[in-house]
Amino acid sequence: MIKDWTFAKILATGPGTSIRDLGRLGYAQYGVPLSGPADLQAFLWNNHLLQNNENDAQLELSQPGFKIQFLAPTLISISGALSKVKLNNKLINNTGLQEINFEDILEIGNIESGSIVYIGVKHGFQSEQILKSRSQLKGITKTFQIAKGDEVPYFTNQEIPQFNRLSQVKWNSRYLSEELVRVFPGPEWNLLTPHIQEFLLGQSFHISTMKNSMAVQLEELIPNEIPGIASAPVFPGTIQLTSGGKLLCLLQDAQVTGGYPRILQVMEDDLRILAQKKPGQKLRFLLVKN
Amino acid sequence: MNPEIKHIGPKLTEISWPIWMVGDLLMKRIQVESSIQKKFSNEILETRAGYQTICIHWKEKPENEVLSKFLNQVQNISKTPEFNVWEIPVCYDPTFGKDLKAVSETKSMQIQEIIGLHSESSYQLNFYGFLPGFMYLSGLNPLLTHPRKAVPDRIIEAGSVAIGGNQTGIYPHDSPGGWHVIGKTPTPFFDPFCDPPVWAKPGDQIRFTPITMAEYDRMSAHPKFPKAK
Repeated sequence: MIKDWTFAKILATGPGTSIRDLGRLGYAQYGVPLSGPADLQAFLWNNHLLQNNENDAQLELSQPGFKIQFLAPTLISISGALSKVKLNNKLINNTGLQEINFEDILEIGNIESGSIVYIGVKHGFQSEQILKSRSQLKGITKTFQIAKGDEVPYFTNQEIPQFNRLSQVKWNSRYLSEELVRVFPGPEWNLLTPHIQEFLLGQSFHISTMKNSMAVQLEELIPNEIPGIASAPVFPGTIQLTSGGKLLCLLQDAQVTGGYPRILQVMEDDLRILAQKKPGQKLRFLLVKN
Repeated sequence: MNPEIKHIGPKLTEISWPIWMVGDLLMKRIQVESSIQKKFSNEILETRAGYQTICIHWKEKPENEVLSKFLNQVQNISKTPEFNVWEIPVCYDPTFGKDLKAVSETKSMQIQEIIGLHSESSYQLNFYGFLPGFMYLSGLNPLLTHPRKAVPDRIIEAGSVAIGGNQTGIYPHDSPGGWHVIGKTPTPFFDPFCDPPVWAKPGDQIRFTPITMAEYDRMSAHPKFPKAK
């Protein structure tokens, strides 16, 4: 099989576009964030359709107006949020496999449902690997996001790959409108009074504009009487109660320890529901007993 | 003093002690952590540590009883893990120690006294967190305890040595921060091109040696990881 180097040129992008793989598992002991994909299932689905290794790197983007030109043929897969996707100016399916010819231009327009789109490519993007991962992060990789003019390497077979369009499984996007997020009691959950626990589980929370790849802050305040804790481990999905009474849900690039009480832990499968929400959208928590 | 076991869903288990595991107790925590890593190497993705806790991230969690039984056995092993001592050069010149003057005024202490107290102690590396390569150190002289700034600084430069609350630490990267900067080290604390990207491990001791501005300039021209004593 021919496997030549080629590049995808970034013609336009908003802020926050980055290369992602499964991240730096095992490096938390040195204070290094995990930096896996925000929506793990969407990421894994692309690599599955492409018959890639599950760690093969993809593009993660959350702003419309993304334009990329592939210099040589390949197969790509799109998943995650639902957006207007154009190939050489023609609307195409917004999820699933797509064959790419020489110099094809792919465009991600308005993101209509959800907030994070994944673009996977056959054999994965081949950007620099630092501490066993290509995931971009400030202080680890040379650049922390993808910028206009960047050339991202990938492999080409020099011919348009064939695949059976009819046998393709459709991307199930129902979770993008789900509002219920299942959570486990965190280590400090029992420090909350039963009254506050009930209050927290009984109400809806809105996503604030304070959302990035490290954490998302929720709008509504919780009366907080728990003091800070001795710095302790936190993970993507840990929900902290800040001293000001705000709930902070940690995401994939979060630091590995924290000093705020860890009141809830989002179930791994449901973290994507939270990660895909846009500012202003709402959610509720459903407590699942350990 | 047996730790408490808390299961947080099927993927996380936290082992916690009622007090800070510093000093001799840190050796206990490190011992428990490495025994767990050895015993359950096939079931564990990774472990993370804090002052009073070890958290296990499971690939596949064993039966609860298996873990609690193992923890009981581990309590009785008492072998002190080996650790290193590191001498870290710090320039306490006010050019770098931007908050030295303010700290000396609020605490009514001479700047020389602050430098003396800060550099005569031996600090214990408990764990890494906050930023890649940021060491949580214990052993700050209680006389130097100083509450964090109410409004954090937008940028604290990489290499800055600072005091916050009852802790002292070194910023491995440029970062916003609320600690009081008292000096700067030419020694890098994190290098993503090295694996492991840090040079010390939990249990190791860190000492700060005052250096002059000229020495700082010379050393920072060729930054390199230090050698253990």
